[in-house]
Amino acid sequence: MQGSTRRVGIMTDVHRRFLQLLMTHGVLEEWDVKRLQKHCYKVHDCNATVEKLEDFINNINSVLESLYIEIKKGVTEDDGRPIYALVNLATTSVSKMASDFAENELDLFRKALELIIDSETGFASSTNILNLVDQLKGKKMRKKEAEQVLQKFVQHKWLVEKEGEFTLHCRAILEMEQYIRETHPDAVKVCDLCHGLLIQGQSCETCGIKMHLPCVAKYFQSNSEPRCPHCNDYWPHEIPEVFDPEKEREAGISKSNKKPLRSRQH
Amino acid sequence: TTTMSAAVSHTRSYEGVNRKTAKKCSSYQAPLSTVQSQRDPLTKVTGMLVQFLLHMLKMKKPIVKADMLKVVDKKYKSRFLEILKRASFSMEVVFGVDLKEVDSAKHSYILVNKMDLPNNGTVSCGRGFPKPGLLMNLLGVIFLKGNCATEEEIWKFLNQMRVYAGKKHFIFGEPRKLITQDLVKLKYLEYQQVPNSDPPRYEFLWGPRAHAETSKMRVLEFLAKINHTVPSAFESCYKEALRDEEERAQATGALRADTDATASECCGPCLAAPPTSSEVEADSSLCG
Repeated sequence: MQGSTRRVGIMTDVHRRFLQLLMTHGVLEEWDVKRLQKHCYKVHDCNATVEKLEDFINNINSVLESLYIEIKKGVTEDDGRPIYALVNLATTSVSKMASDFAENELDLFRKALELIIDSETGFASSTNILNLVDQLKGKKMRKKEAEQVLQKFVQHKWLVEKEGEFTLHCRAILEMEQYIRETHPDAVKVCDLCHGLLIQGQSCETCGIKMHLPCVAKYFQSNSEPRCPHCNDYWPHEIPEVFDPEKEREAGISKSNKKPLRSRQH
Repeated sequence: TTTMSAAVSHTRSYEGVNRKTAKKCSSYQAPLSTVQSQRDPLTKVTGMLVQFLLHMLKMKKPIVKADMLKVVDKKYKSRFLEILKRASFSMEVVFGVDLKEVDSAKHSYILVNKMDLPNNGTVSCGRGFPKPGLLMNLLGVIFLKGNCATEEEIWKFLNQMRVYAGKKHFIFGEPRKLITQDLVKLKYLEYQQVPNSDPPRYEFLWGPRAHAETSKMRVLEFLAKINHTVPSAFESCYKEALRDEEERAQATGALRADTDATASECCGPCLAAPPTSSEVEADSSLCG
């Protein structure tokens, strides 16, 4: 931003509608966010030029700042898609979930979260999570019930399920990064390149450093001999491709068809 | 008024909050604790209350003061009204949502969403409630019958729409429960016994939430549209609706005079979007 004094942005109905719709979705991919932005202009101010997305969002964030909320941009861990979510900055707990879930359900989430963080792959099996059902705070929960609660987490975009295993939804990573770092300071993994929280990624088999798949993709792009940035040993894993929104649109690949890169290369 | 403007406009006296997240993958931001201490202590608790209100917006239930007080730290309880004022100001300016008191004795409030999202802001899989189309029709019938319609008149109207008591409708569910209980609980309708009626007969009136969220003119516009005519065709009702609009304009004008000049800079056009039942959201999957 320019200078030391910053003008707080102007909110119009375009911005308000955008904010509300983004909130409704929880998290959105960049392409959808751009469509949403254009739509909001169409509804409220169809003659205006659509502002560049980054500026548009910075504008809104300058107003949101005093409320300890911000529109945060992140990247999906498996295939590097840019995503946006409205995130609470002042909370130090799973509070955004607290309003939708009961005490024992929140505790189930915390247990699943711990298993995910401690795991090598960033995935926790359904069985292992359900085995912790007896340790939950609050009302007693049966395994059958817990299975449904896990599905509820998936529906609300807090967890993602792949072949009977669960990991954090990109929304949860965006929203809870600070909370996760504070509550699991020792167990938490961090990407050697971007220093962001790491749940899924690739690791060096020699020195053990880890990197996000999209970070690996960018770092080793067009590098025929990828080497670990830390110990210089040969990087043994398949290098993913850098996410290209243009290529994706042209190929008309729908989300359901696209196979996200699996991060089982540990 | 300086406290109000402080909530929304302030000069940034620091740099360094990283907005260039484009370069990093989910980059870690250090907690804003150093900045927070420079701020007015009410800012944070206002933020908490706003987040609570945003959650209640989803719930579509009336909000009571007691619940709001739970969100506010004990040490700020004495400044609750000030915090509430700031929070409702932020809700209006930032999100386009009004906090309105519907019952001053019970300290209950509702949130009126001026953004007028289709499906009441819920995304496709949610079953939005109440069903706007039916409610508007009911409010219309009540208005046309002189602001009070007997239960018989309401059922005559509903039957014409092939909605029958006891018969579960695929959109509305069981209609009798919907209109005599659910919509009453949500304060959209009032259902009361006709005075001195024996055997007891019942009548419907607009509830306080209907008065807050819509207006006689809007309902008339809706009726006109579905009857392929114009509001002024409903002569006496039109006059009444015009009077109602005038009264509302005067009431709003008095409130606006209170707000800060700074507020109006940030506010922009805060007018409620007109109800567009034919509003086609570009992508219904995205926009509800």
